[in-house]
Amino acid sequence: MSEKDQYKNRVELLQGTLDMLILQTLQWGPQHGYGIVQALRLRSGDVLQVETGSLYPALHRLERQGWVQSERKQSESKQKARYYRITAKGKRQLASDLGRWERIVEAIGSVMYVKPKESES
Amino acid sequence: MRWFPSFGFQRRKRELQEEIDAHLQMAFADRVARGETGEKARQAAAREFGNIPLVQDVTRDTWGQGWLEQLGRDIRYALRQLRKSPGFTIAATTMLAVAICANSTVFSWIDGTMLRPIPGARDTGDLVSLQRGERNFSPTPPFSYLDYRDLREQNHTFAGILAYHHDWITLTGGAQPQRVYIANVSANYFDVLGIKPVLGRFFLAEEESRPDAVPSVVLGYSLWKTRYASDPAIVGKSIEIARHPVTVIGVAPAEFVGAMPGIRQDLWVTLDPLGTDVWRMTHRSGGAVWLNVIGRLRPGVSRGQAAQNLDTLMHNIVAAYPDDHLGENRITLDPMWRSPFGANGYLAATLPILLAIAGLVLLLTCANVATLTLVRFVSRRRELAIRQSLGANRMQLVRQMVLEGVVLSIAAGAAAFVLTSWTSKTFAWFFPANAIPLTFNGSMDHKVVIGIAVSSLLAGMLCSALPSWRSSHAPAIEVLKAESASISGGSRNRKLLSALVVAQIALSLPLLLCSGLFLRTLRNLAAANPGFEQDHILTASVGTNIAGYSRDEEKVIRHKILDRLSALPGVKVASFTDWIPMTLSHKGEDAYPEGYAPHPHEALRVYHAEVAPRYFESLHIPILEGREFTPDDDEKAPRVLIVDQTAARRYWPGQDPLGKKLMVWGRPFTVVGVVRNSTHMSVNEAPEPMVYMSFFQQGYETIVQVETEGNPADLAPAVENAIHEIDTQLPVFDVRPMRESTQMASIFAVMQSALAGMFALIGLVLAVTGIYGVVAYRTQMRTHEIGVRMALGASRVDVLRLVLLQGLWLTGIGLALGLAFALGLTRFIARLLYGIGANDPVTVASVVMLLGAMSLLACYFPAHRAMRRNPVTAIREL
Repeated sequence: MSEKDQYKNRVELLQGTLDMLILQTLQWGPQHGYGIVQALRLRSGDVLQVETGSLYPALHRLERQGWVQSERKQSESKQKARYYRITAKGKRQLASDLGRWERIVEAIGSVMYVKPKESES
Repeated sequence: MRWFPSFGFQRRKRELQEEIDAHLQMAFADRVARGETGEKARQAAAREFGNIPLVQDVTRDTWGQGWLEQLGRDIRYALRQLRKSPGFTIAATTMLAVAICANSTVFSWIDGTMLRPIPGARDTGDLVSLQRGERNFSPTPPFSYLDYRDLREQNHTFAGILAYHHDWITLTGGAQPQRVYIANVSANYFDVLGIKPVLGRFFLAEEESRPDAVPSVVLGYSLWKTRYASDPAIVGKSIEIARHPVTVIGVAPAEFVGAMPGIRQDLWVTLDPLGTDVWRMTHRSGGAVWLNVIGRLRPGVSRGQAAQNLDTLMHNIVAAYPDDHLGENRITLDPMWRSPFGANGYLAATLPILLAIAGLVLLLTCANVATLTLVRFVSRRRELAIRQSLGANRMQLVRQMVLEGVVLSIAAGAAAFVLTSWTSKTFAWFFPANAIPLTFNGSMDHKVVIGIAVSSLLAGMLCSALPSWRSSHAPAIEVLKAESASISGGSRNRKLLSALVVAQIALSLPLLLCSGLFLRTLRNLAAANPGFEQDHILTASVGTNIAGYSRDEEKVIRHKILDRLSALPGVKVASFTDWIPMTLSHKGEDAYPEGYAPHPHEALRVYHAEVAPRYFESLHIPILEGREFTPDDDEKAPRVLIVDQTAARRYWPGQDPLGKKLMVWGRPFTVVGVVRNSTHMSVNEAPEPMVYMSFFQQGYETIVQVETEGNPADLAPAVENAIHEIDTQLPVFDVRPMRESTQMASIFAVMQSALAGMFALIGLVLAVTGIYGVVAYRTQMRTHEIGVRMALGASRVDVLRLVLLQGLWLTGIGLALGLAFALGLTRFIARLLYGIGANDPVTVASVVMLLGAMSLLACYFPAHRAMRRNPVTAIREL
């Protein structure tokens, strides 16, 4: 297994969730890669630390799928960067991702919070 | 960007780099803002980002263009590998280029002739040429105008049927008379072919046979360009053809040269432009059978259906006019690529076979290059093993190695392309100066380019696929662990090497055998006695008939010529004829013994020629019975004939032919002599009955024939001068020795043996170097082992035997396989051979011996070298 393959696997594991997180971040306004990392970290209270090796492939894939658009702009600090913006298609995708996510959380939750009475006895 | 993904790829790569730079920059700026110091902040930002190239790599993978980049990388790698072994690269590329060029050259000839039978015409695949009577290899024009018109008007399977007849004529009226090839054509000629004029118009339907119409002519493009200086106002002007004024109505496009494949027509007139040929337009037999006919099939109609349709119509015509259609009248249709009218009939019998032989050469070359490739991969086994252990999978390795072969073959294809653009034009070299306006050559169009591309890619795959597959197998650990003497690439590689050598010998044997048979055919043809003198004869055509001289003028001129030439120093005998033997042309006619009732479907065709007194004397053809023609056998005297032995035996078996009568053109001719058989078309022909008529009774063309004392070519200027002294306006052409004219009869044998010989030589060199290479390589691999053997007491002879046996074993198997292969193949060339069987034992034995001896020699050198090694150094060598 090369290092590259490990990266890929991590991307796959995260894929559905990471896509949703990125799209959600972009809901608040166009953002560049670094900005997305910072935003996710802040919002999650330093818990979610997105790796660049997952972030950039994901961004490029989302763009290919037409869920985000990118353009090169100057940032407020005069730094040239590539800004990503969510598209209408991307918003629809986010809604469906969110729906799925909620269903999964609910399903996992109902598994996790059932009291295992039988096994205790 | 979709079409040029590589450009987009470079741009996107750059943008990704910028994006990452921006990221790092911003992370750095943030850290500085938080109070970290410069260098520490930079390092921390970089650490946080991670492995930059890796991020780039996985990001690029999402673009879906990774394979392209990978291909680029593989190609660069392949180029680097090939550059590392220039010897192999140059040798393999050269061999492949030569082999591909052999194929593409022959294919370009096929492409320029058979695949483009009528340049400029629309959809030539729908055109068929019509033949009546027995199928014939070189037929004479088969239809009369009335028969043709009936077929044209009554059929329901053709979109159109055209007819033409062509011959030489002289353009008069200018500063210089010019001899040109003119065609009398049906009015629909250009329409059926689908050709549009560049100037003016073509013929109208009502102009076809109306005798009172103004005579009009369509000029060929090159004639218009050369003789009339591309005059844009030529339409409507009057030009003079054989002293008759004719109005130009149009100019044909540049690429169109006529409806008969391989023959150039310079200008076109209607069937009876002057209204003077009413007889020919209103009869159905004899001299009125003068038209070649081509039809365009209706869409959806097959050749078989059309033939059936025409056969029925012809049957009705025969029933209505039985006396005009004695003999065989069946109609056969041929596609234009093999039409017996024109050059394609001959070429279709020769070129495909040459292409097949060239194909063998390419296979053989692939086997040879594959051997080299395998040896090369074996020597690279360490590198392959390292790459394998670094994670390359087998497919990747194979792809990489095959790509090297493909890169080689692309280079070879490019070289072959450059070579072929020259060799395609060499086809015309085979044809000596002759009296036929031949105009064809190879062509280099998209079909040839596609052919080169496909064959070079296939060859590249073929050369590298097997060796790569084998080499990618190598157990990496063993290879890396033990770089020992025992590894010569494993026994599987050894088997593959042996198989490749056997294949090369087996493939080169049929090549050698074919070329041997062709060469002996050529020698037999050259040595065969044609039955007439060729060496001291000079012939010259005098265009009296085509220059518009009247019959009386012509008669006077002919007698003057004969008188002057007879008196010329160096001339032994002067005579006339209107036909020269062995020039791919002949004249044929139906002939019946008087009172003879032919069976249905019996064709009593004879060849005929009109010859003057002393013709037989000058050609040394002995008169067996009766007499030769005399000057008194002229138009006032009764018609007379001299027949050859074949005709005499056929019509009057067991009787004395003298005094017998033969009906030709419905007129009786009395036989006054019998001459020995001589060759008409080529020495390997089946003898056809020949009748000679008196030149002064029936002669049409005027060809002077003189027997000279010395070299006939030396006398050519004198003969030409003597004729011009009579009339400076007389066109004199095709002045050449008989030997030169009769070369036409063997051009296809020359072509076959020249190419087959060249291909066989290539095959022999490849096979011999192939076996030498493999035996030398294997012997080198066994140096250590041989050293041990010698140290343990093996003699030098033992070593020699060891190595030789190995080579001989391979040679033996190759020869056995090749022999079986060759004997199966020679059937296909049997038709082209003369004086030799397709499995001629002498040729087979000598070819096998030649190949065997050469292989033995190739094995001897490595064996000798192994024998002379010092055992001590040999053992040390690993």
